[in-house]
Amino acid sequence: MAGRGYTFRVARKASPARLVIALSVAAVLAVFLLYTSIAGGGNPSIAPSALKGRTAKVQLVGVVVGPVRGDSHAGGKHFRLRDIGGSRATGVPVVYSGSVPDLFKVGREIVVVGRLRNGVFVSEPGSMITKCPSKYAPKKNADDPA
Amino acid sequence: MPELGRAALLVTLGLVTYALVAGAAGAHLGRRRLAVSAQNALVAAFFSTLVASAVLLAALLRNDFSFTYVARTTSEALPTAYTISAFWGGQEGSLLLWLLFLTGFGAAAVRLNRQWARDLIVWVVPVFAGVAVFFSFLVVAVASPFATQVAPADGAGMTPSLQNPYMLAHPPLLYLGYVGLTVPFAFCLGALLAGRPDERWLIATRRWTLFAWAALGVGQLLGAHWAYVEVGWGGYYAWDPVENAALMPWLVATAFLHSVMIQEKRGMLRVWNVLLVLLAFSLSLFGTFLTRSGVVNSIHSFTQSSIGPWFLFFIALTVGVSLAIVFWRLAQLRSPTKLESPVSREAAFLYNNLLLLALCLAILWGVVYPLISEAVRGEAVVLGRSYYDFFLRIFGLPLLLLMGIGPLIAWRRASLTSLLTTFRWPTLVAAGTGVVLLFLGAGSSVPGLVAYTFSAFVVTSIAMEFARGTRARKALGASSWATAFSSLLGRNRRRYGGYVVHASIVFLAVGIAGSSAFDSVSEARLSRGESMTVGAYTLVYRSLDERQTANATQIRAQLEVSRGDRELGTLEAGKNAYTVEQQVSNEVGIRSDKLTGEDLFVIAEQIDPDGTVYFRVFVKPLVNLIWLAGLVFLLGSAIALWPDAREQRRLVARMREVGLPATR
Repeated sequence: MAGRGYTFRVARKASPARLVIALSVAAVLAVFLLYTSIAGGGNPSIAPSALKGRTAKVQLVGVVVGPVRGDSHAGGKHFRLRDIGGSRATGVPVVYSGSVPDLFKVGREIVVVGRLRNGVFVSEPGSMITKCPSKYAPKKNADDPA
Repeated sequence: MPELGRAALLVTLGLVTYALVAGAAGAHLGRRRLAVSAQNALVAAFFSTLVASAVLLAALLRNDFSFTYVARTTSEALPTAYTISAFWGGQEGSLLLWLLFLTGFGAAAVRLNRQWARDLIVWVVPVFAGVAVFFSFLVVAVASPFATQVAPADGAGMTPSLQNPYMLAHPPLLYLGYVGLTVPFAFCLGALLAGRPDERWLIATRRWTLFAWAALGVGQLLGAHWAYVEVGWGGYYAWDPVENAALMPWLVATAFLHSVMIQEKRGMLRVWNVLLVLLAFSLSLFGTFLTRSGVVNSIHSFTQSSIGPWFLFFIALTVGVSLAIVFWRLAQLRSPTKLESPVSREAAFLYNNLLLLALCLAILWGVVYPLISEAVRGEAVVLGRSYYDFFLRIFGLPLLLLMGIGPLIAWRRASLTSLLTTFRWPTLVAAGTGVVLLFLGAGSSVPGLVAYTFSAFVVTSIAMEFARGTRARKALGASSWATAFSSLLGRNRRRYGGYVVHASIVFLAVGIAGSSAFDSVSEARLSRGESMTVGAYTLVYRSLDERQTANATQIRAQLEVSRGDRELGTLEAGKNAYTVEQQVSNEVGIRSDKLTGEDLFVIAEQIDPDGTVYFRVFVKPLVNLIWLAGLVFLLGSAIALWPDAREQRRLVARMREVGLPATR
């Protein structure tokens, strides 16, 4: 046991470089992480029903409700988004311009980033992400008018 | 048939439970015969899992829709290759595949090392068995691949974008990687439990770790290439939680592969290595949890299910038990040697480790941030691309530079004069490259320019290492330069294979920098006969064709491409409308320049009934280097993995010197 204790003490004492590096890197990392996650880039992710009255930039997660109208490259695509698992009543109108992913259609879960303006959620161009309903088994949507 | 599958899995569960209990008892009480019977049970568990897998495969190939799993993942019309890939297409099948790999790896690793590491193996077996108990419990009780139903007329089929050759290789490679990380984990814990935390567990598992790491790396690059050519949004990596789930264990395993060398050479970083192995394994479990539980939003929303909490429980158990064991053995893990100077090869490896780990933790923080912010503030906040890109730059670029420094700097302590001579040429070449690129206009992106400059530094230092080594072998009597070079590679496969992998990372860095920092994009709505320009290219939209295939209507816009005065031929971009699946997919047009590695990438975003098309066109310089990097990575890994009889003899001799502990 004495031998172990000795090795232990020597190793600790003689490796100041390691300790200093580890601590400094950890400190830098902590600062960066806190800085970027608090000050930079993050958007709250919310459901359409939670949007009421909020005008800050958010990420809206919901299910597409038809009818889908308009041109995403001219004036924007218009549709509604409702809560996942919620009723149609939870829907908010959305206008979106830019690239539309392949999987976008009525009944799909999508994510868009933007802000509420005069009761309409205006998405940032190209911010839409669609979620595949399930990996290998395509579900057929009976309520799909498209 | 399903009964056979279920029975085989029950047998597996019984065998691995026995291996856990009997193995632990045998090791603890020093009962040799009990320990050996536990080993045999682990090996037998592989064969019973193999039987279960064969039953599932047969059911898939026979389109036996009375298996719920088969009906959900395949259909009559699905080509055979994709019917096979349905094995890992759904959750139950992939868990079974995981168990098959796990018991297979366990049996092989235990058999191969049972002679010279017998005292470790007695404890490795129960650890392996413990992990296998969890997975076999899942496939027996929670998510059985052998659930049955009244057979429907046809199955539900497979999503069109996954009916793709990449999906034959990408998922199983990732599983090989994830499961492969169990081997170092089991040996590490086994060594700690046995109270023998010397370097043997590292040596026993080195190739396994390397293999798992290589599979994980190649699997991810295949996934990236699939995303690039098939998904068609113009990128290859989206920092999606599920993509990050594979990247994190890979980064930790990369750190481990480097710090292992410090422990082997200098006996340092023992605790660190143990922690890295535990972290890599826990992250591979965490990745599965993320994928399957649906706790965070992902583009890859796989079938979500009830196995999430089970995984969370198992992760907590693994982390808790492992840390307790490490703490218990802490005194034995203290290093006999110390870091002598912050300017030495050991130190360079240490910085490499810290940066890799910092990058991994930054990514992990980004992945779990929605959960943390929801718990703290009551609202999930999602961190976007800029967050990850920022950390990739501040941690990734110094890592790139270290790849050029580490292999050249002296062990123990490097003097200033030696540094000046060693790094004179790499520095000059890098500075020259930087200045030339600045004049060519690369200053538009500072991180991009820095990445190129550092890459030049690394390439020069790798080339110098190869040149120096080859010259030395020639001087030692090799008949030609070619034999000198091949004998150099042959004599120290790990080292030179490692350099080849470094070269691949340089290609990757240059490819990523080129395609993301120096790309250009342009979009326009064109009628037939109209044109657009992007970068140096001009595209003229000529015609719109419609073709009917067995399962889809293909609409293609034909574009004439030219650069300056040179005609480059036509390019097709359009959409496929899949009739049965009621799905539309983008079919992008890609023109690769073989000489410069640049891609012209055309997406026909929107095709209107009047024949006008909204095009989005990217020019991605050097993007093909990313795919080349994959091949070079594979080559380097293969060199490092190739069995080396000389090295084996060296290790055995060294172990004799150290003295093999008396076996029980």
